[in-house]
Amino acid sequence: MDSPAANAAFAKQINIKFPLLSDMNKKMLREYGILKGYDVQNETYQWAQRANIVIDKNGVIQHIEEGDSAVDPNTAMSVCTDLHKKQSSK
Amino acid sequence: MKRILASSLLLAMTPVVALRSAPALTQKPEVAKVSLKVGDVAPDFSLLSDQWKTVKLSDYRGKKNVMLAIYVLAFTGG
Repeated sequence: MDSPAANAAFAKQINIKFPLLSDMNKKMLREYGILKGYDVQNETYQWAQRANIVIDKNGVIQHIEEGDSAVDPNTAMSVCTDLHKKQSSK
Repeated sequence: MKRILASSLLLAMTPVVALRSAPALTQKPEVAKVSLKVGDVAPDFSLLSDQWKTVKLSDYRGKKNVMLAIYVLAFTGG
């Protein structure tokens, strides 16, 4: 897992304006069911699969994408936009 | 037009083994103990940001929608 220092370098490299988080002990990934194990030549390795998750202001999950479909973040961003519009119209 | 208020959080991770070059790769999904679904309350977490600040999901409760983007191979463009 990337350290905060490695993430800082990456954030600077691609000019990211939002927090890049490190799950060094993989606790969050386990709790979210995102950490997967893979057998490679008689050894098991664990790392996260790609995922996009949208969580509303109340902490409720509104959208989940995993695997290949999570490579493109546009769907999740659309969900965020729609969510915000819905909340603003109330 | 208003900017999207959602905060995007990105988890950047580097795998121990490069997925593309790994032979005979077999997934073991049982390692994942919880499968969340839409409508579930997202478990709170506390993680270090690239600025070495602790970021909690609960910090955003009642304030902003949150988008989590979990990325492996973030540094490699993979």
